[in-house]
Amino acid sequence: MSKVDLRITPSRSVLPASTEPQLLYALIELAAQSGATKMPRLPLNLCLVIDRSSSMRGERLQQVKQAAMQILDLLGDNESFALVTFNDRAEVVVPAQLARARQEIKRHISAIEAAGGTEMATGLALGVQELQRAMMPRAVHRLLLLTDGRTYGDEGRCVEIARRAQSRGIGITALGIGSEWNEDLLETIAARENSRTHYITSANEITKVFTAEVERMQNLFAQDVQVRLALPPQALVRSLDRVRPFIGPLPVIEEADFVWTAALGDWPESDTQALLLEMVVPPLPVGRHTLLRLNLRYRTPGSDSATQSHEQTLPVAFRDPDEVGDSVDPTVKHWLERLVAYRLQASAWQAAEEGKLEEATRRLQMAGTRLFEAGQVELARTVQEEATRLLRSGQASAEGRKRIKYGTRGLIGREESS
Amino acid sequence: MIICSYCQAQQLDGTIFCTVCGASLIAAKPQRQTTASLNRAAAEAAELVEDEATILPAPANPASGPAIALVVLSSGRRIELPAAPELLIGRKDQQRGFFPDVDFSLDGGYDAGVSRRHARIVCSNNRYVLEDLGSSNGTFLNRQRVPPGQPMPLQHGDEVQFGMLLVRFEVSS
Repeated sequence: MSKVDLRITPSRSVLPASTEPQLLYALIELAAQSGATKMPRLPLNLCLVIDRSSSMRGERLQQVKQAAMQILDLLGDNESFALVTFNDRAEVVVPAQLARARQEIKRHISAIEAAGGTEMATGLALGVQELQRAMMPRAVHRLLLLTDGRTYGDEGRCVEIARRAQSRGIGITALGIGSEWNEDLLETIAARENSRTHYITSANEITKVFTAEVERMQNLFAQDVQVRLALPPQALVRSLDRVRPFIGPLPVIEEADFVWTAALGDWPESDTQALLLEMVVPPLPVGRHTLLRLNLRYRTPGSDSATQSHEQTLPVAFRDPDEVGDSVDPTVKHWLERLVAYRLQASAWQAAEEGKLEEATRRLQMAGTRLFEAGQVELARTVQEEATRLLRSGQASAEGRKRIKYGTRGLIGREESS
Repeated sequence: MIICSYCQAQQLDGTIFCTVCGASLIAAKPQRQTTASLNRAAAEAAELVEDEATILPAPANPASGPAIALVVLSSGRRIELPAAPELLIGRKDQQRGFFPDVDFSLDGGYDAGVSRRHARIVCSNNRYVLEDLGSSNGTFLNRQRVPPGQPMPLQHGDEVQFGMLLVRFEVSS
């Protein structure tokens, strides 16, 4: 039967029995162990929403068509497929249907041509509508959006449509290619459960990224994953962030006194999940104290009633301050360093927008330092270059911004093997 | 409480990276402010001040040639350089006995990957050259890597990068 490996690693294993509150970081790692039995596969209800503006002409659109056909071949006979394109207007190329009349569907796909501008909202709305036509119980509903351009004037509508879809259980994967698309918009669209965004840096990655994403959606290990963090009295959760498979903040809600919960959504079996918790620990006397009780709840696909539950605790020794060294767990430090780099670049862009260029440059440079120390030398150089550019010309490059925003989150190209 | 040595923000004990500026608080050995160990902290702080605060040499006789300076771009700190035939650039380390003429330890030099003996500026006849001394993270002159041991001419307005730390070289006559 399926089970979960839950591991909690604190930044320090021994804490000083201080008279002041102190900060403790904990890395929470979740690994799926499905064992010998194959998990039951939930049918996928998929809609591709493809930008076919004139800038997609050539290799990009060619790759997209090829990817769409490969995805069709990945789907089973009882899975639903739809395809919507948009430029200045939107069009349903393949209405939602079971993936059966494959030759005919492929003929429709190959007839797609690039022309015109980019107007995303109508495309998204049509895509959501197609998914809703094929709503079936116990299916995984996903919309895969690909764009290479900036949509003008309808950004608010895009987010609104995305939120409505997400509240109905439709997850959105928003993919950007090239350097002209609006990364703030895609990040906002994807900032919900079961949604993610990704930066495709070259056309020849399209097929790989598309098929990998569909395979992730098809192999869910668990659904509705929830974490519940119970802390000792007077302790606080300062923040909770996802660090694997990609970096991003997780909203936490204080459900009861000293109990916080966060929703992680669906869990693709191939993803190792890791969260970084920052907690404020109250002064505690010498001895052993349980600083965290972690409870993980989820449903396994196919069994709609039984909620599985796992628990893990974090006991920490408190000693006299003189006996406590300052060594820090290197794995916790590594992920924290990358998280800090992500936060620094985010606040740098904000400062730049407010016209505080020196502040923005300083933050970018510090982000570069953090990345450099975390071993991400290539990205650190990009950050450094953009910091210099920003200071000199008052502006970062469109591509550099994307590389930094998506790179610090671990959302460029293929999944890193770290 | 800990005080971040980079931006002076107060941080909780146990903090690894400053929440305000992102600097590492464990490598830089920030000053501790524990009431429980006030005396020790005071002694330590005094030591630290002595250890960290490098008073940059005042410019030597201004009449003896053009004044040269390095400007740290992230903070705007201007370091006036003394008129000397050779200036060592790096990071001060009292324990290992490194005392460079230009000390970047207060500019986040450790975090930026500045070596203790990083580079030198050699001056003769009002011409300047920059030489990397085999630093771990390299020296870059206007974004071009300076090969270790091969001096490159240095001019007013040049951008020099020591590891990740970006500075501008200025000559004013």
